[in-house]
Amino acid sequence: MNVMIAVTNGGFTDMLHDVADTFGWNPWLFLSQVISFAIVAFLLRRFAYKPILGVLEERRQRIAEGLLNAEKIKKQLAEAEQRHADILAKANAEAQKMIDEARESSAHLAERKQQEAIAAAEQIITKARETGAIEHERTMESLKRELGRLVVETTAKVTGKVLTSEDQRRLQEETARQLA
Amino acid sequence: MQYCFFSRLSLSIFALFCGCVFVTSAFGAEVEPAVPLKPAELVRIGKFAITNSMLVTWIVAAAIIVFAQLATRKIKAVPSGAQNFWEWLVESLYNFLESIIGRDLVRKTFWFFATIFIFILFVNWFGLIPGVGTIGWGHYNASGVFHVDRPLLRGGNADLNMTTAMAAIFFLLWIIWAIQANGVGGFLLHIFGPKGETSGFLKVIMIVIFFMVGWLEVISILFRPISLSFRLFGNIYAGESILEAMSTMVPALSWLIPIPFYFMEVLVGVVQALVFMLLTAVFTLLIAQHQPGHEPQL
Repeated sequence: MNVMIAVTNGGFTDMLHDVADTFGWNPWLFLSQVISFAIVAFLLRRFAYKPILGVLEERRQRIAEGLLNAEKIKKQLAEAEQRHADILAKANAEAQKMIDEARESSAHLAERKQQEAIAAAEQIITKARETGAIEHERTMESLKRELGRLVVETTAKVTGKVLTSEDQRRLQEETARQLA
Repeated sequence: MQYCFFSRLSLSIFALFCGCVFVTSAFGAEVEPAVPLKPAELVRIGKFAITNSMLVTWIVAAAIIVFAQLATRKIKAVPSGAQNFWEWLVESLYNFLESIIGRDLVRKTFWFFATIFIFILFVNWFGLIPGVGTIGWGHYNASGVFHVDRPLLRGGNADLNMTTAMAAIFFLLWIIWAIQANGVGGFLLHIFGPKGETSGFLKVIMIVIFFMVGWLEVISILFRPISLSFRLFGNIYAGESILEAMSTMVPALSWLIPIPFYFMEVLVGVVQALVFMLLTAVFTLLIAQHQPGHEPQL
């Protein structure tokens, strides 16, 4: 109510003046404080915050760079690991291929060598058989001749007569025929 | 919503006036306050004066600058001691403000809000040091007790001139930042322009309503420095008065009774510094952030 009365009676300025006077507010002190605070704020900005904000900004950039580098290194490491795995897989594949080829080649070689051995063995057997047959033939011829001779001699001794060439030939042929 | 705004504003204005009138009439009735409301002049240079509260602000500012300079004299990659504390304080404050007003705005305004918080905080705490308000020039009264008439030091924020000076500088900076963010047209549009998406006749009504609401907003903006300065001054002055009252209530226990109140004032010092900084930061954010359709024309 007092306020309303004061305002309506035009005492608003007086009331403000009273309030200001009561609280010790006056324009010159206020201006002094404005200048004082402005200087203080400027000095604090220049000498208290600027150095530390510079340090913090520098550190923030360094951390950001560090994180970026770490990310880059991580990426490079992943790439290197991938490359390593690829190389290893490729080497494994090549080694497997070489092993398979070697196995295949050795199988072929063994087969060939076996075939060669078989052929050689068969050849040896054939040759041995042929040699055996020739030898048998030769022995048989020799046996026939010897037996023929023995039959002729025996016959001559048993009969006591001298056999003619014709008799001897006939006896030998007969013996040979009997032996065959 | 609009009704609430009206009633809140009216109540605030009424309460402020009533408060002022009450205090004026109370002190006008020759009630001697325990702690004087006015700062004492120490030196006068023409019309300008150096007061005991101003001296405290200089001492505190000098102490902060010296500490900051010592802390950052030999910068180490791994901080320790004073550098660690100073970095923690500034970085925490920076991150806190960044989370409220955004990265771009904090880069531009941090120096002011940091000054507001750190400076108000240490000025408030400086006022609690024994000797502030009790050492100075005075006289012996009839009972032989020395009474200080002109203290050498006074709590910086227990001086309305100091708190209004800070609020006035903020108000000036607020206008500059608002115009930088919006341009003059955008600034006026921000206050008087209609909000929301409307069309046709409803839009015309909204333009008229928001134009009228804009004037209320202007009154509200004009009252911000007053509320900021009176809030801080009132809290700190009340704290000093309580401490004074508690110290003199029972002379034999004057060393004991104020102790809990000292702890409370330590807390009040932090809260008031935080409130002043947060309010100024939020006021700045409100005017600097762009609403849809109110972006500045580049």
